[in-house]
Parts: sequence; C-alpha cells; structure tokens
Amino acid sequence: MELLDLLQQAAPTLLRGVGYTLVFAVASMLGGLLLGFPLAIARILPARLARWPASVYVSLMRGTPLLVQIFVIYYGLPSIGISFSPLTAGILALSLNAGAYLSESLRGAILGVHKGQWAASYSIGLNYWQTLRHIVIPQAIRIAVPSMSNTLISLIKDTSLVSVITVTELMLATKEIIAVTFRPLPLYLAAAAIYWCLSLCFERLQSRLEDKLGQAHKSN
Amino acid sequence: MAATLSKLSKIAAAILIAGVTLNAFAADLLDTVKTRGTLKVAMEGNYPPFNFKDPKSGELTGFEVDVAKLLAAKLGVKPEFTTTEWSGILAGLGAGKYDVILNQVGITEARQKAFDFSQPYTLSTAQLIVRKDEKRSFPTLESLKGYKLGLGQGTNFEQKAKAVAGIDVKTYPGSPEYLADLASGRIDAALNDRLLVGYLLKSSNLPLKAGATFGDIDKIGIPFQKGNPKFEAALNKALDDILKDGSFKQVSFKWFGFDVSKAPSVQ
Repeated sequence: MELLDLLQQAAPTLLRGVGYTLVFAVASMLGGLLLGFPLAIARILPARLARWPASVYVSLMRGTPLLVQIFVIYYGLPSIGISFSPLTAGILALSLNAGAYLSESLRGAILGVHKGQWAASYSIGLNYWQTLRHIVIPQAIRIAVPSMSNTLISLIKDTSLVSVITVTELMLATKEIIAVTFRPLPLYLAAAAIYWCLSLCFERLQSRLEDKLGQAHKSN
Repeated sequence: MAATLSKLSKIAAAILIAGVTLNAFAADLLDTVKTRGTLKVAMEGNYPPFNFKDPKSGELTGFEVDVAKLLAAKLGVKPEFTTTEWSGILAGLGAGKYDVILNQVGITEARQKAFDFSQPYTLSTAQLIVRKDEKRSFPTLESLKGYKLGLGQGTNFEQKAKAVAGIDVKTYPGSPEYLADLASGRIDAALNDRLLVGYLLKSSNLPLKAGATFGDIDKIGIPFQKGNPKFEAALNKALDDILKDGSFKQVSFKWFGFDVSKAPSVQ
C-alpha cells in the first residue's frame, strides 16, 4: 500500500497542477476559437489581399514549434518593451497557436460544403456574406467538429509546455514530486491518467455536440 | 529532444542577449530592488536539497531558499520566489522576469558573457554515481570512453562530458530518471554535483554508490543582468556578511552536514 501513500501524498500538488492546466486549456480554447473563425473566413475570401496575411500567419504558427512561440512571447518581447505575466503569455501563445490549426479545420469544412449550396442560395437572392453566414457556416461547423476537437484535445496536453515560463502546471508539478520521491513511473502514470481524464471530458463534449448537430441534419 | 533543447537554448541566448543590451541603460538593479522592497529569486523548485517543494506542505524549501532569505534580509528586502524549468531559467533572467537565480548556476565563461555573477557561494566538483556491484573503476572522465554516461540536460556536466570524445553521453530531464536507468543497467554511470550525490544515494534507495570525484573545482555563483555595479557590490557584501557571521555555515550544515563554501578535498 506504499503506492497509495505516494499517490495520496502527491494528490494536492497534482491537483493544483491540474487547476493550472485547465485554466490554460479552457482559456486558450476560447482564444483559439475566437481567432480561428475570422482566420478561416479570411482564407476563403475571393480577395487575394485578404487571403495572404491569414495564410502567412497560419503557415508561421504551424511551421514553428509551440515551445519557440512561448519563448518568444514570454522571454523575447520584453526586449522591445512588451512584458506579459506568465499566465497571459501562456494563454496568448496557446491561443495564437491553436487558432491557426482551428482555422484550417474550419476552412476545410467550409470548402467541404457542396458548391451547389452556394449556387442554390445565390439563386434565392442571398449575397456572399448571407450565404456564408446562414447556409455554409452552419453546415461547415458540423463537418469541422471532429477535427476541431482534435486540436482542442491536443491543447490540453500542450499546456505542459508552459512549465518553461514559471508555471507549475500538471507536468512540472509531477516532476517536482518525482524530484523528492524518486518514483518516476507511478507518478508519470498518474499524470498520464489525469491528462486522459481531462481529454475524456472533452471527448464527451465532442460526441454530444456531434449528436446535437447531427440531429438537425437527420431531420432534413 | 536534446537537440531541440540545445537549439532552443541558442534561440533563448540570442533573445536574452538582445534583452541585456537594451536594459544596459536602465537604473541600477539595487535601486529597483530597494524601491520594490523585494528580491525576485528564480529557482527550479525540483532540485533537492538545494531547492524543492516540501512533499507534505507544498512549501518551497531547501539550502538555496534559506540562503536567499539570508541575502534578502541583508539587503533589507523580502525574497520573492519563482520556480521554473531549467531550460527557460537563464532566458528569464535576461528578459528581466526576476533579479537573480539561486540554482547552483556554475560560473562559466559562456555564461559570464551574458550575465554578471556574484562571488562564489558554493564550491564543488563533479562526482560519478555507479551501481553498487560495479567492478570497473572510472577514476577519470577519460576512463568513461566507450561507456554510457547519464546526466542532466543543459547542465555543466553535459558540456564537460561532451568535451571528451568517445563518451556515450545520454541526457535526461532530471536525476530521478537517470538514476532509474543506471540502476536498471541501461547506462554505466551518472555524473552529478558532489553535493548532490550523498543526498541522491540516501533518498533514492537504489543499489547505487558514489564514484570518483573529478579534479577541477566548480564555482557556483548568483547570476544577474550585466551593468548593475551597485547591485553587484551590495550582493557581494551581503554574501560576505553571511559567510562571516556564521549564518551561511549554519544553513550549510543543516542541509549538507559540512560547509559548502569551502573547497572540497578531492579523493
């Protein structure tokens, strides 16, 4: 029962770490979604001038490691006079990163809506924006849910990177306990179990959302 | 992973050098610290017995926490602790996220290019850890050629070991990981600070023993941003004070059982 003692001893520290992990994950999901929608739309606009800044942004955020982005935002920006708290810097970096991925999921989904939907909606007199808003995006969201969920679940695990900017999230909390107990295996497994539980919650959310959006689709 | 880390540390170094040059004309750190009333101290927080979280209370404790408290008191301010991962700790100092680092930072030429250091407060040497039943003797670093040596990522020991061609250096996130690998036979020896070895052997309960210490003395100091002569003088004076009035010695005996500010006798 030594193992139980160890986990019992570790529980308060791990739970504090989970708190941070959740705060970062949920805030960054909202931030990522807020950013992902306009980015996706900018990338499908007919005007090339609107498309390329968004394309460059998405390419940059997907093409550089998240860890480097966190470093630049937290340690790099102070040299030009912009300084964030660890919490702000972490949420900002994760949101900026997730936004790029989410926009690609959405863009793919918007393009996946059949061309006939556009033609049909123009034929009843809707303009581009009305078609996008009332006809295409509602259908696109349904298609995008599984791949957006991928990004959001990855985000839960990506929060472990904010340990480099002085935040004791779940992973760093685990390392702190390992440093004094010298029991890496059970504690890493405990951390893995916690990450899995957190992800399971979001998976549940995903399947509910799929059911809900799918119901409307079925009744058609 | 190790390659990524070293790339990252280069990026971090570039960033922090940019930060250091820009901060060169700011007010002296001493004035900033006195006005603020706190000394911002960074450490890993998972490096016992130097600095770690007490498993029962979750409070930050350890030798360097005590030293930081003594130094802050001498400077007439309160210490304010931040814990972060080693991979970001020097970058954070360069970006001005905290004033000093107390985390067994060895005074090296490369680091002195980016930061100023206090006078040394601990002196140590590198020491090997081997399995209890180890028959081979590794009296020098060179004798490890052809063997697998485990050590911490981004540490002084990593640079030392990699300077000797032929050692198969394996880097690990922390000592619990390489000690576990050493006990299970995946590596032949591990290298760490002499001050840590006694603690590691006692606390880890693994079938391991201490090996040879390697000649040269490592000087451990407190790094801070360059261009702060008043802070440097005040910090060195504070260190002098606690070394002379016996309070440093008391803290040192509490955690190690001997005075770590004195040069170790090499085996």
